[in-house]
Amino acid sequence: MSGQNYSTTDDEMLVQAARRGELAAFEELVFRHRDPIYARAFSMTRKEQDAVDLSQEAWVKGWQRLEQFQGDASFTTWMTRIVINLCLDHLRKQKRQRAESIEEMDEESGGVERQMPVVTVNPTAGLERAELRVKIDEALGRLSAEHRTVLVLHEFEEMDYKAIAKTVGCSMGTVMSRLFYARRKMAALLADMRKIT
Amino acid sequence: MTQEQQLKLQAFLDGELAESEAREILAWTQRDGAAAALLSELKNTRQAMVQAEPHLGVPETREFFWSKIEREIRRQEPAAAAAPGASRPAMLRDWLLPAVAAGALVLVAAGLLVHFNVPKPAPETAADADTPTVETTLANSDATTYRDASEGTTLVWFSPAADDNPAPNKKPTAIN
Repeated sequence: MSGQNYSTTDDEMLVQAARRGELAAFEELVFRHRDPIYARAFSMTRKEQDAVDLSQEAWVKGWQRLEQFQGDASFTTWMTRIVINLCLDHLRKQKRQRAESIEEMDEESGGVERQMPVVTVNPTAGLERAELRVKIDEALGRLSAEHRTVLVLHEFEEMDYKAIAKTVGCSMGTVMSRLFYARRKMAALLADMRKIT
Repeated sequence: MTQEQQLKLQAFLDGELAESEAREILAWTQRDGAAAALLSELKNTRQAMVQAEPHLGVPETREFFWSKIEREIRRQEPAAAAAPGASRPAMLRDWLLPAVAAGALVLVAAGLLVHFNVPKPAPETAADADTPTVETTLANSDATTYRDASEGTTLVWFSPAADDNPAPNKKPTAIN
């Protein structure tokens, strides 16, 4: 099957061919799913080159672990879990290399989020989806990695508290606290952007 | 509002509370304006995020993006990548196991043949080689072979079994 055109082959067959060692089949899988895997890496790291490197590393790991793919979830979901774990390792390494941010200190000491005024008017009401995406992306970039991670896993990956705690390696209480702060901060940032525009 | 109450409110929004607890929180938000406002803010933020996840694409061409992946795969697994279809687990599953099974089958078949079809030993000396021999290839066979090495001739007779045909008419066939 080497050199075969796989453009019309479904994912399941591509996975089977890749398991037999067909790199061309795996290349087709990469081509089909590279964007969402990269997007997840970017949403967690916020750095383009890091996201490219981590998503490529995830694809290499995916190739090596193809035998472990059971097909219970979709291939994209399986690959997304791999890239999330790589991003978490990457963020942990980064965290060890830098001092804790003021936001993290606030979280530990009781939380500035409790003092933030409630945003009573929906700051995203009436926005076009494309415009909203830009604002969400910008606001996400202003959260700390810890808060952004929990928010991304909950809202984009639709994980529950327990799954996030297991993935991130923290308590459910920490997940709830980080998620609460992240949402409140997002609301405040979106409201500020609305005022500016 | 305590932090615990705030987190309960959020858990209510996310469907993480038991039904009885969820009913309590709902009642609380209906009578407490601050709780209702906070719940509304959390809900708006969640909806905005779910509806507008940024769509991003890899900022590299397909070929360039793939080239690094391929290079890394080949570096880490040179034998499998150099010969597609020959990764060790796949090769074991697809080729080695069937080959071993086929080999075992051949050995069993050969064993049975040897057991039921024991040929008489071939002449080993030059003198033996010059002596014509008559042999039956199977214990209950109706084929008889006449071999004369000096003449370079081998004759084989095939005849039906005695029970099937009472009149034996052996038909010699010259092989060489």
